Amino acid sequence: MRVNPSLTARLRIGFLVLFALLLIVSLLGVGRLFQIRVNYEDDITRYFQLELQSERLRSGFILEQAAARPATAHQKPSQGELDAAAASFTNAAGEARKLTENDTELTQKLNRLVISQTAWRKAVAQPLIHEEVPPARVESKLTSAVTNSGQALASGTSAARAAAREDARTETRNTTILVAAGLGGALLAALILFSGLINSMRAPLGRLVEGARRLAGGDLRTRVEVGGPVEIASLGRAFNEMANSLERDARERDRVEQMKDDFVLTVSHELRTPVTVVKGFAEMLTAQRKGLNSRQYEAAEVIAESAGQLQKMINDLLDLARSDAGKLRIEPEITAVRPLAQRIGRQMRPHFEGKEQQFTVSVEKDLPDIEADAGRIGQVLANLLTNANKYSPEGSQVRLAATQVGDEVEFAVSDNGPGLDEEQLEHVFDRFWRADSSESQSVGGTGLGLAIAKSLVELHGGAISANSSPGEGATFRFVLPIAKDGRPKRKEPSSRTKAGAAS
Amino acid sequence: MTRLLVADDSETVLLMLERRLEMEGYEVVTARDGVEALDRLQELGSQGPDVILLDAMMPNKSGTEVLEEIRGKGSDVPIVMISAHLDAQEPERMRKLGATDIIPKPFEWEDLIGKIEELAHDGA
Repeated sequence: MRVNPSLTARLRIGFLVLFALLLIVSLLGVGRLFQIRVNYEDDITRYFQLELQSERLRSGFILEQAAARPATAHQKPSQGELDAAAASFTNAAGEARKLTENDTELTQKLNRLVISQTAWRKAVAQPLIHEEVPPARVESKLTSAVTNSGQALASGTSAARAAAREDARTETRNTTILVAAGLGGALLAALILFSGLINSMRAPLGRLVEGARRLAGGDLRTRVEVGGPVEIASLGRAFNEMANSLERDARERDRVEQMKDDFVLTVSHELRTPVTVVKGFAEMLTAQRKGLNSRQYEAAEVIAESAGQLQKMINDLLDLARSDAGKLRIEPEITAVRPLAQRIGRQMRPHFEGKEQQFTVSVEKDLPDIEADAGRIGQVLANLLTNANKYSPEGSQVRLAATQVGDEVEFAVSDNGPGLDEEQLEHVFDRFWRADSSESQSVGGTGLGLAIAKSLVELHGGAISANSSPGEGATFRFVLPIAKDGRPKRKEPSSRTKAGAAS
Repeated sequence: MTRLLVADDSETVLLMLERRLEMEGYEVVTARDGVEALDRLQELGSQGPDVILLDAMMPNKSGTEVLEEIRGKGSDVPIVMISAHLDAQEPERMRKLGATDIIPKPFEWEDLIGKIEELAHDGA
């Protein structure tokens, strides 16, 4: 199993490692510097003592010379003084030997001094004690040998001391550099450690941010790759659980929505047949009015009318359910505008006459054909005209106009009724919405007409809009594309180009 | 007199169509399903109908199957399909099979009668 320490553990480990590294480097560095200092002091002390012994050796030689050849004539050379001076020399040499134990060069120099001194004592001092004068050449040679080797030892000692100082300085400098490098290295290691920690969080956090953004954008299948420190990983898992639950909810919602669509579709479809039958028979009764008395006829008329309304509502509901389910289909054909407008005008005229409204249909001359499902566009026009008829008071004017605008045909249904305010205009195409004013209290209908009109126009690739201000009537406009290979409008006899107006 | 063959599996719809079309002055022969519709056609023989109205969805044999069979025999009698077409591809399929016209269900009487009149006259 892969080890995946938590964020806090990582931080703790990081700090511990850093602390340990710094401590080790500091202790080693300080210890080393201390050691260098101690060694240096030892060296200096030793060389100082060695210099002291060199002085004693020199003075021993001088004493021996004085014993062998007294400065004044009344003094005689003395064997005893010579021995004492020689003993002092030997003692100093012994002390010096201890001090030069570790230094072969100085030891050699010391040995040379001792040898040359011994040779001098034997060949110069002893004969002098015995009143024999050694040859001047031998004496001067052996004396200068002693003097030279004494000087060599002294200068060697001071050179060694200088070298020790130089060594101590170099070592101190090197150690300081090493400690600085160690500290720098430890800090660098810490930097790498922490940036690694940040990097280990950055990638999974980045994925989380990206995932959250995609989820918010509506892609409910979004899941993130779980990773990084324990805390981030559990955040990732929580995110995925949340996405799962969101997706589950959305799927459930879609399912319920689908069930609702299916339900409305099925119910309205099943309702249609009996309603058609009721309407059909009621219409048959009203058509055969001779067999009925006036009350029976009235009842048959009411049944036929109510069945008609019911049929209309069911059809509206079915259309909307189909539209929601994406099953509302149109069959666009090359359609002449004038006969369509006139057919709807004829169909609607009785309603306007019933309310004594002035209804005019005007179609621009030479209007080209449109690409449309004539039945559906007729339905749109009928819905718009029904609205105008219902919401305008008696005696008002309603106009249906078709004109060419660019490469489109614009249909406009306008009235001079009470109009709509801005808030109403915003909702006018919402389903089941109805203008809520005292005048419309008596207005029937399902509030689906405009919603269906909008769906149908949009299905044709057109657009519908409403314009109004309170008290100034309302105008509903929609545009449809002109048929690409439609006939130029010249077929209608000119006598029929003017649509009739009814009072 | 113009003779019509009308087939619909709903008895009330069939009765309504029969009465209403009779009122308009047509002679109406009815059938409750596709098999019965083909039987009636055979019975009528050379006295065949001027226009046939078929409900697309019927038990035993659907209107679409009846349409296919009639056209298969080489008859070019006008056939009007009455279809609820919940399936958007249905009208096109029926037209390919030789349907003269398709009336969506539910229909407006004016449309239905207008269409029958048109076809009866064309056929005459």
